[in-house]
Amino acid sequence: MNAIFLTLIQICFVLLIAPFTVGLVRLLKARLQGRHGATPFLPYFTIATLLKKQMVISKSTSWVFKLVPFVVLGTTLFLVAVLPLVVFGGALASLGHFMIISGILAFGAAFLVMGGLESASAFGGMGASREMTLASLVEPAMMTMFATFAVVTGVFTVDAMFQDSHILTSPALIPAFFALIMIALAENARHPVDNPATHLELTMVHEAMVLEYSGPYLALLEYASALKLTMFSLLVANVLFPMTLATDISFVALLAALGWMIVKVVVVSFALALLESTIAKMRFYRMQEYLTIAFFISFAGLIFALMHT
Amino acid sequence: MATNFMTFGILLSLAGSVLSSLFSFISPKGKMHRVSLFLLALSSGSGTIAGVSFLLSGDSQWIILKSSWLFGAPLVLQTLSALFFVLLNMVACLASVYAIKYVEEYAHMYNVRVLDALMAIFVFGMQGVLLATSPFSFLAFWEVMSFSSFFLVMSDKENASIRAGLFYLIMTHLGAGAIMAGFLILSHGSLIESFARLALLAQTIPAPVLFGTFLLFLFGFGSKAGLVPFHLWLPEAHPQAPSHISALMSGVMLKMALYGFLMVVLSILPGVSTAGSLIVIVLGLLSAFYGVIYAVIERDVKRVLAFSSIENMGIIFTMVGVALFMQTQGQTAFSHVAVGAAILFTIAHAFFKSGLFLGAGVMVHAAHTRSLEAMGGIAKRMPTFSGAMLILILAAAALPPFSAFMAEWTFIQNLVAYLASMSFFVKGILTLVLVTMALVGGLALFAMVKLFGIGFLAEPRSEHIEHAHAPGKLLLIPIAVLSGLTILISLFAPFILHMIGFGDLAFMRAQQSAITVSGSSLSPSLIYAAFLLFVGIAFAMRLLTSNVKYERLYHTWDCGQPITSGMEYTATAFSSPIRFFFRMITRTQKRVRITPVIESNPWIARRAFSLELKQIWYDWLYVPLANAFLYTSTFVRKLQNGVIQFYIALIFIALVVTLTIAL
Repeated sequence: MNAIFLTLIQICFVLLIAPFTVGLVRLLKARLQGRHGATPFLPYFTIATLLKKQMVISKSTSWVFKLVPFVVLGTTLFLVAVLPLVVFGGALASLGHFMIISGILAFGAAFLVMGGLESASAFGGMGASREMTLASLVEPAMMTMFATFAVVTGVFTVDAMFQDSHILTSPALIPAFFALIMIALAENARHPVDNPATHLELTMVHEAMVLEYSGPYLALLEYASALKLTMFSLLVANVLFPMTLATDISFVALLAALGWMIVKVVVVSFALALLESTIAKMRFYRMQEYLTIAFFISFAGLIFALMHT
Repeated sequence: MATNFMTFGILLSLAGSVLSSLFSFISPKGKMHRVSLFLLALSSGSGTIAGVSFLLSGDSQWIILKSSWLFGAPLVLQTLSALFFVLLNMVACLASVYAIKYVEEYAHMYNVRVLDALMAIFVFGMQGVLLATSPFSFLAFWEVMSFSSFFLVMSDKENASIRAGLFYLIMTHLGAGAIMAGFLILSHGSLIESFARLALLAQTIPAPVLFGTFLLFLFGFGSKAGLVPFHLWLPEAHPQAPSHISALMSGVMLKMALYGFLMVVLSILPGVSTAGSLIVIVLGLLSAFYGVIYAVIERDVKRVLAFSSIENMGIIFTMVGVALFMQTQGQTAFSHVAVGAAILFTIAHAFFKSGLFLGAGVMVHAAHTRSLEAMGGIAKRMPTFSGAMLILILAAAALPPFSAFMAEWTFIQNLVAYLASMSFFVKGILTLVLVTMALVGGLALFAMVKLFGIGFLAEPRSEHIEHAHAPGKLLLIPIAVLSGLTILISLFAPFILHMIGFGDLAFMRAQQSAITVSGSSLSPSLIYAAFLLFVGIAFAMRLLTSNVKYERLYHTWDCGQPITSGMEYTATAFSSPIRFFFRMITRTQKRVRITPVIESNPWIARRAFSLELKQIWYDWLYVPLANAFLYTSTFVRKLQNGVIQFYIALIFIALVVTLTIAL
């Protein structure tokens, strides 16, 4: 019963803070670039507005187009419930095998790509092709990275990995941690992989795919991408600070976890805004270098971990 | 009593296949088409039921037929062969239902009478391979299977098909020759020894000879299974055959090669050397990687599926290779799990690949071409069909919670669990397997999403699809059943593992069942439940937060101009990043020819684009090999000088040399 309660708490916390994360990154980025920026709560209004808007559906699309937003949001919710983001030991933590995590991420990506192709425009197709390339080449890096964690900690669910005491002490995890950051940037379509601020430019990946969505469907997709960003931010932070997660349902523990979650989101958002203000987006056809580096860093981490055990 | 009855069911399936073939063959002008296919469906249906009841009975073997005609080698069903028998009959049953309508639609192209007869013979050959217990009967049925499929590949009598068929014939007979040689070495020259006796004889054979035999078997079965570099025939032959035959070839015939290999290495050869197992792993990984790269960049729907089959067989052989390798390292528990994962993957592959090939038949019929570049828009016109195909596509991409994922999870989970405790050398091999499989998994997703995204979604890229309508029930039902089976076998994966003798990998209680591997467990039903729950929550969120119901239909926005299908992304464009990233391997050559319409004005120009997909194994291995043969033969030709005395002298010398060696 406690486990179910913990999971519900985590889902609620993350669902509530997700749009804030996106807004905060935008605000911090604006400030770092000398602009005033909008309030970090703007994404809440954006989503609320989208939910009230009429939907325009392309004539070229089929039933798959209408299924995509639900599957993309559903897979993201699955991950939010399963991964250790705010609490440890949730009811579904046993489903958090690293292969399931990367598989479900790929599942969501595959549907997003189908949604992009459905629009029959070159924009959607281009975004879809790029997203698919990224998703399929990030997967080996992610598997290798998680395998390193599994080898070091001796457990296989992400929840148990992060609870393990080795997570802070093993030097083999340093490359794996860097790989995780690179993977997180690629998965969330941030710099240097994609520029989340562009619209209708030939550089974009994620925004091109959702171009034909409008109204509530677009709200679902935007919300899913906000959730994913929050999820990865918390995941990266939790590798370094696993002690900030709640493990029981006492009021104090939950309040502390909530406080820490906000702190972690703010810190990671600042780091992300700083990164996005200092480096440029890479040309897409140089993406192989980025992905190869991510893959080989995690591979090096795995070898390093194996040498030490 | 029940056993006898079920044994009868298996005999019935054999007899039914032969009878169906005869019926179709003697009937004038294919009048018995429906009857013979119905008979084949019935007989393979009874084979399925009998096979399943064998697996449920828990017996170790059933003797099906014992007769002096069979050279003292009875037809026997064992656990491993029963599993393949069930797969074969299930797919054959569905394929023959599909063929009823499919062949009628192409009646002008094929000789219906011969096609049906050969299909039944093909199924009969495969059934026989699984029941054979001596090299003689095994090879005889193997040849029935090979020859009938050779004729089936050529059934549309096009030049490309004849070329592919001949290529297939040569490769498959080199393979069959190697298998025969292997059996002859093991049995000291007698083909009618039983497999059980062969296993005893094999123990007296010195290790180097045994290694040579192993390589012969690996080549023989590997070339049939489409392992790189013996795979060249596969992407030529599988697409040229009619779609229900492609389904049988890719879904089941490749499994016969796997069955043969497993049978030889697990129950005949007394253990495989480390070097041998490493060769299997390397060939497996090579096939998986090479197959998936070409599955991504190919543009012909059936060739994509054929290359995906090479990839999947590569993964299965890698799993088997790892099992053999760990056996040599004394890790029997690890090895056991790897074999279980390989078999689970085999089951998954048999269903999803057959379903995809059957579906490809419908796609090709709608588009009048096999090229993905002329497809698209099928999902809108055939929603039920595309729904069934989507499930098969997701299963083929090894995404959770579908069946292939269960097998990959079992394998990789176990591998990672053992990784830390191994010796340095073993760690290296296993890490290589892990990262290659991860890379292949990602690209397989790409290939499958491309197939669905380009083939089914958005606007049709050709006139034909605009007028196409949904396939009839007889075409749709087999595909729908296969996609349903794909879901069922992932839901009941623990139960299936239990049934085929891997009970220690399955955890079953009344409420819950799970696959358990080295301490961790995965419950398929829990994943399905969680998945459906969260997609349901997403649905509820949309309903609860927004009351916008009306969806205005409008064309896709495209900078103010109307959109046409010419603006869509094509399969070539979609896979372009991968082609670019892996250009070191694929060596594709892109040519853009720009010719100005008027000489003086370079800006108004005609552009022609061509892309050449190279087959690197063909160009770099087979062509040089053929050239070397031709070059050597120019020297040998000098012997042909027309002097008859010289020829007689040669014959005499050859005779003396042969006699000296033989005596």
